[in-house]
Amino acid sequence: MNYSFNFNAVSFEPLLKGLIVTLELTLAANAIGLTFGFLVALLIMSRIAAIRLPAMLSVEFFRCTPAIVQIVWFFYCVPMLFDVYLDSMTMGILALGLNLTAFNAEAYRAAIQAVPREQLDAGIALGLNPFQRVLYIVLPTAFRASIPVLLTNGIGIFQQSALVAIVAIQDLMYQGKSLATETYRPIETFTVVALIYFAVSFPVTQIVGYLERRRQLLMS
Amino acid sequence: MELDFSIVARFQNALALGLWTTIQLTLICIVLGCALGFLIGLARTSRSAVVRAVSSVYVEFFRGTPVLIQLFWIFFCLPLILGVELPNFASGIIALTLYMGAITSETFRASLKSVGREQLDACIALGLPRRVQVTSVILPQAVLRAIPTLLSNCVSLFKESALVSAVGIADLMFIGQNISNNTARPVEVLTIVALIYFIIAFPLARAVSLVERRILAKLAI
Repeated sequence: MNYSFNFNAVSFEPLLKGLIVTLELTLAANAIGLTFGFLVALLIMSRIAAIRLPAMLSVEFFRCTPAIVQIVWFFYCVPMLFDVYLDSMTMGILALGLNLTAFNAEAYRAAIQAVPREQLDAGIALGLNPFQRVLYIVLPTAFRASIPVLLTNGIGIFQQSALVAIVAIQDLMYQGKSLATETYRPIETFTVVALIYFAVSFPVTQIVGYLERRRQLLMS
Repeated sequence: MELDFSIVARFQNALALGLWTTIQLTLICIVLGCALGFLIGLARTSRSAVVRAVSSVYVEFFRGTPVLIQLFWIFFCLPLILGVELPNFASGIIALTLYMGAITSETFRASLKSVGREQLDACIALGLPRRVQVTSVILPQAVLRAIPTLLSNCVSLFKESALVSAVGIADLMFIGQNISNNTARPVEVLTIVALIYFIIAFPLARAVSLVERRILAKLAI
């Protein structure tokens, strides 16, 4: 290999600007995903089929199609179908947020259904009403159980957010791509960009691993 | 606006061709990725610290970065480093195989770990040789337990394969986008493309829970 590396060609200023956009997208999408995910989880556990089935179908639709298809669909079709024109950042946040909502809804549902039956029986025996049982027994246990998955999904959306570069939102990926083309230094640029993504997501995955290990210890 | 889905029918051959590319890419990478993942999964339990460190860095790096940047890196940088021209399709396969290898290695590692310590003790008590311990006791259980997660890894791979459209591989997404740009009918074309992905991924995703509940419950492991 006779390629001479020159990491000086990589200017960090645009990358940093891109990283901020990426983080904004991630945080906003997580805010949407964490709140709406919970609401949708309640919908897919509804006893009324007319509520449950459409909610389940839409969750499955978001989970079973590529995120890039969803993002491109959103950008092209929402303005045409509904005649609304939002700025691209808002569109990106909405597309990523809806995707995360579907994944988080499943995480909440699994955690809520994993609350042991005996605990609810104990709640009945103690004379708690259904609302109290949900508030004091189901929610605290379920929320704690779902944290690792929610964090994993959240960092997943951080990685998926790179896809918005394809619809020209100037995130880290987009800035990296333009820098690589401008400087003719794809290896250095893409390596630095990959390392930045890694530097953000690695600590979070380590925290998730720690939380899961601690949970297993507590459970056993 | 008026929707006219019949427009998509005119392009059914092109879409079918794209779908075929997507499926080929997915299948090749499932086979290669699972093999790689199995080896890496074993390497991460190796006694040699160097092997463990190298395989961990590989797995963490590929799980910790977007697939899109992996794809771009392989597409733009690997040819420069190796000094050879790589066809698009080959770089797509390399990138997705490396991604699949990283995520399946975690699956195999978790399932290997889930085989209880007491099973190994039982093997020792029975005086089974090391090779028999591995091939007849640990591996069959580990592989069976890995199946549901492996299936959902395959679904993920199938979905991630849509990213190769960004480096100009003519998969379903790429062809769909081309048609939608040329006909100026994005709503119809992209909706159909999304539905095609859904029709394939959804039964697979359902199969995961089916396997989990029925088969594994029957085997009581």
